[in-house]
Amino acid sequence: MNKKGPILGIAIISIIIGIAVSVSSSDESFDVDMTQTHGSISTSLGSPILGNPNAPITIVEFGDYQCHQCYNWFHNTKPMIIRDYIDTGKANLIFVDFAFLGKDSPKASQATYCADDQNMYWEYHNSLYNSQESKIDSGWANSERLKAFAFNLNLDMELFNECLDSEKYSKRVQYNSQQARDNGVRGTPGFFIVDSDFNQKQISGAQPFSVFKKILDSMI
Amino acid sequence: MLEIFKLVFFNYKFFTLSVIIFSSMMVTLLLISEFIFLEPYFVTHIPPGSELGFILIVVLSTLSALVIPMNVFRISHFKNSKQKISGSIFGSIIGSAAGACSCGPIGFAVISTFGSVGATTTAFLTNYEIPIRIFAILILFITYFTTIKSLKTECKVSF
Repeated sequence: MNKKGPILGIAIISIIIGIAVSVSSSDESFDVDMTQTHGSISTSLGSPILGNPNAPITIVEFGDYQCHQCYNWFHNTKPMIIRDYIDTGKANLIFVDFAFLGKDSPKASQATYCADDQNMYWEYHNSLYNSQESKIDSGWANSERLKAFAFNLNLDMELFNECLDSEKYSKRVQYNSQQARDNGVRGTPGFFIVDSDFNQKQISGAQPFSVFKKILDSMI
Repeated sequence: MLEIFKLVFFNYKFFTLSVIIFSSMMVTLLLISEFIFLEPYFVTHIPPGSELGFILIVVLSTLSALVIPMNVFRISHFKNSKQKISGSIFGSIIGSAAGACSCGPIGFAVISTFGSVGATTTAFLTNYEIPIRIFAILILFITYFTTIKSLKTECKVSF
């Protein structure tokens, strides 16, 4: 009995430590459905779905927050797609990071997921594209500015700063960028339009609304 | 100046060369800068705010199509110095390279191949696209006027 006491004690302590470790590491995890795919693309670690999750068509956008053509698409084409297809429930949109342009690009992508922790992904995403400056790595998307954008959206700054400084979503952004490469994306913005039968069509570049309309209408 | 133009461009060979240079440069630059798309449909568009970039491409292609054939004419007819043609080709190349990288397939290929050096080069060419194109146009303008002057002297054209 005396010999079993220390062994039992060690076992209990090990279990307690195990639970403590799993609880502390769960602080850095996030709830995702790792099986979520659209066509050939794993979108499980991409953005939240913009629009009706049950829409028959999904537009997957691969983008970089420092890419000027992505800025052009965001301002010139996306508003019409939102008006005619996303707000009407005909399509939804998922943004997947392809952060390759400069050293500030991955950090900007990570910041969007830190905002997502506070359910403000799309607000933060829009804030980045509305604030983009024409020069790559000019400092407009450095850590201080990314925190300032979060502050302007009234996010909990303690949570946001901790998330951004710890690079909590670094691997998530790397995974998304690898998805882009694996699917043959060779620049940003790049799009895949996927219907409910998993037929997919690719569009490269910041193409005008007429191109998207033609493809979307043919798939509805 | 009109006599020089007639002398060079009324020659079928140099006129053809000029058309080839203009059209190939124009189409390539418009494709790279995403003013033209071939896939999935052929479509052209100038996004708001990109008008200056479009105008600079037209000017650059036009000047290249004027200056390069004039210098080829000079060299082939007078076996003269090749300094001016290198100026015109240099102007055309740096003008074309500006903005060619950006976030499109060329930029991606450069960054993938050359890593951080490629990323720095791409960033530089993208950030200073407009000033670089203006600088290239300036080089081509200077080459254009010096070529006209040379041809006037060499051809002994009287006005």
